[in-house]
Amino acid sequence: MSIAISNDVSPATAARAAELNKDRLYARRARVDRMFAVLLVVQYVAGIIGALTVSPYAWEGKVHAIHMHVWIAVIGGAGIIILPILLALFRPGTTLTRHVIAASQMLSSALLIHLTGGRIETHFHVFGSLAFLAFYLDWQVLITATVVVAADHFLRGIFWPESVYGVANPEWWRFLEHAGWVVFEDVFLIWSCVMGRREIESSALREAQIEELSEQEQLKTAALQMALAEMQATA
Amino acid sequence: MSARHGISALLILAGLIWAGTVGAMYRAVRRFETTPGRAAAAHDQWPDASRISRPAGAWTLVTLIHPHCSCSRATIEELQAIMEKAPPSLHSFVLVYRPSDFPAGWEKTDVVEAAYHLPRSHVVIDVDAREARLFGGFTSGQTFLYDGNGHLRFSGGVTALRGHAGFNRAVASVVRIAKSGSGRASHPVFGCAIISQQEGASR
Repeated sequence: MSIAISNDVSPATAARAAELNKDRLYARRARVDRMFAVLLVVQYVAGIIGALTVSPYAWEGKVHAIHMHVWIAVIGGAGIIILPILLALFRPGTTLTRHVIAASQMLSSALLIHLTGGRIETHFHVFGSLAFLAFYLDWQVLITATVVVAADHFLRGIFWPESVYGVANPEWWRFLEHAGWVVFEDVFLIWSCVMGRREIESSALREAQIEELSEQEQLKTAALQMALAEMQATA
Repeated sequence: MSARHGISALLILAGLIWAGTVGAMYRAVRRFETTPGRAAAAHDQWPDASRISRPAGAWTLVTLIHPHCSCSRATIEELQAIMEKAPPSLHSFVLVYRPSDFPAGWEKTDVVEAAYHLPRSHVVIDVDAREARLFGGFTSGQTFLYDGNGHLRFSGGVTALRGHAGFNRAVASVVRIAKSGSGRASHPVFGCAIISQQEGASR
């Protein structure tokens, strides 16, 4: 039996669809928050292992001491992930949580890039992270992440250009070139977020309409059963 | 205090730690990467007492390396770039530090292994930094470029920052001087100390 869904949406159905949409988005975003909480811990451990492997000690002749990279990985890494993890645990699904996670994920990228001595390959972490952030289906989160990346490059480009561009006197607009590649990815991720949101909204509306039809069918069935019962009683 | 208020206070504290860490980390990293090591007291002429025989009439690059300094990897990468871009007449010596009271083989690291594969280069184990002292260098990554007559043409590191590989002014200077046969340049050196401040002061 097929169910014909009308294009006309009653206020009650629209309200129910909005409620379903909100619930689904919340459940999805809370799941993504938990995923990022785990990912941030994994990255933190990877950063420490990387620092211990690549640069465990700083040397002065025969004498060695724990390398600054190890301290930065341990203390700096913990400082970066503590807030997003607590928010993911205690405030899952909220706007603040996912924006803090986006900023922290980008800061984790910056930390990993630093710990690997600015290796160009580590910059791929930024692009992978943006794709993960798109799981939220909230394009504004991508803007936060992009602003953090651009600000990192802009500030380091002004005060510390060699660390990010490899040359001492880059053009003032060089951070825009780097951020431009991020924006290039953002365009498609934002489009996928908008499409994903529409699909969830559409699915929620269909479910609300089916619920409405189901209720109407149940009412009809109940009315028929009552009518039948009355006929049997009078027969 | 209710659990809700307790969690809010915890999150505010975490927020403060988060913001503080980001600021402090940027500052610490910046200071670490941009603080150069001790500059060389380089001599204008190839040291006569050196046991390294300079190829007669050829331009020669001499680089000091601490085998366990992580920043040395970036130096070796930049040396590779220099040797590829410079004229084929340029030769290179990589002096690898090893204290005499440390076991032989202590200096065998991935950095030194990479140095063995540099084109037109020789790796020399520099016991107790004897050669480094003769050349006047104190810091891992310190590089000297000498012309065919043994005159010093470049002194400094060949990385832009501590442990950062990538094309930079120092590499450009060395390649330009080696190609043109004229000019002099210097650059800060970033790396671990081969000769400590105390040892250097007592020279």
